[in-house]
Amino acid sequence: MRDSRTGWLLLSPTLIILLVFGFAPFLYVLFVGFNQWNIFSADDGLVFNGLDNFRRLVFDDDFLHSVGLTMRFAIFAIGSQIVLGFVLAQMLTRNFPGKSLFRVIHTLPLMVAPIAVGAIWRLLVIPGFGPAPFFLDRWFDLTYQIGTYPDQALWTSVIMDVWHWTPFVTLTMLAGLTAIPKEPVEQAKVDGANRFQVFWYVTLPFLRPVLLTTVFIRIMDAIRTVDEVWMLAGGGPGTRFTGIYIWRVVFPRTDYGYGSSISIITLYLTIVLCWLLFIAISGRRKGEVE
Amino acid sequence: MEKWKATPTPRPPTSIKREGELRSRAREGFLPFYTNAFDRVFISLVILIGIHLLWLRFMEPALPIEAATVISLVIGYYVVRRG
Repeated sequence: MRDSRTGWLLLSPTLIILLVFGFAPFLYVLFVGFNQWNIFSADDGLVFNGLDNFRRLVFDDDFLHSVGLTMRFAIFAIGSQIVLGFVLAQMLTRNFPGKSLFRVIHTLPLMVAPIAVGAIWRLLVIPGFGPAPFFLDRWFDLTYQIGTYPDQALWTSVIMDVWHWTPFVTLTMLAGLTAIPKEPVEQAKVDGANRFQVFWYVTLPFLRPVLLTTVFIRIMDAIRTVDEVWMLAGGGPGTRFTGIYIWRVVFPRTDYGYGSSISIITLYLTIVLCWLLFIAISGRRKGEVE
Repeated sequence: MEKWKATPTPRPPTSIKREGELRSRAREGFLPFYTNAFDRVFISLVILIGIHLLWLRFMEPALPIEAATVISLVIGYYVVRRG
């Protein structure tokens, strides 16, 4: 009994901070989501309007389009990061000349703030100034203007995100790979397993928890991406992701109620996506007890 | 040379009592994975929100939203009891 009380006492500062700065704002956003609240409307206070915000949201083509774009962005960016991160982590488990230097240079983008990443990439791709449009035009006769072509803006955002976050995936994968005991790998090799079989049946099952955690973190980050994409394309066509849409609704339009409802649904989508992935990857299926 | 075949990774030894505890907490229902009580309430909540959003989009002109609430609660109850 005394142990339990001491435990709760030690946990209480963290729990209080979590409740005040995490749970309370969430409840407030949930409450605002069921109200109309626009400081420039005739009645600038909170007016309860039931499910009207959500009714408006499911017919809002801009929002639905932003969800589709965000999903495309997340799938391509995270998929590329996982594959690239794994390959690079495998490479870093071996010795090669200049490995330390490579590791430092490779990890540098991770230390740059997202807003600065957006600024760097904007300078790279801005038409008439950046080197990317210049060389693409000169070498491949390709018109590259992210402000005009939505697909180019989306792919540039994906590449920028891959550049920024692949080092993070590499580091987590490297941690996972170095933690794998050598015995099962050597045992499989002695038994005649080829490289793919070793990867599929030995390495991948050991990497599963690391993979799951990395994908979760990246999904949550990708869905709430705002700053770097905003800096890159200013919320232009092809980059109107959900985060940017929420920002547009809440700040320039000051429609707090509707913005809150969109935030809640975005959180809902994130949770559902992560949960489905958790079930798919963690293998909590019948016949197994975790 | 005999072709290599993957064998399941051996699990750490679990006592019968511990395994029994795990099984009693992680129940086997009609859902395709083991769930505990929290999982089933969570799944019900996810289904409830999903049904309401789809109802608002496609069904509301024909039937009021209260019908979605009733359907969600019935499904939720079934998931919690049998999932």
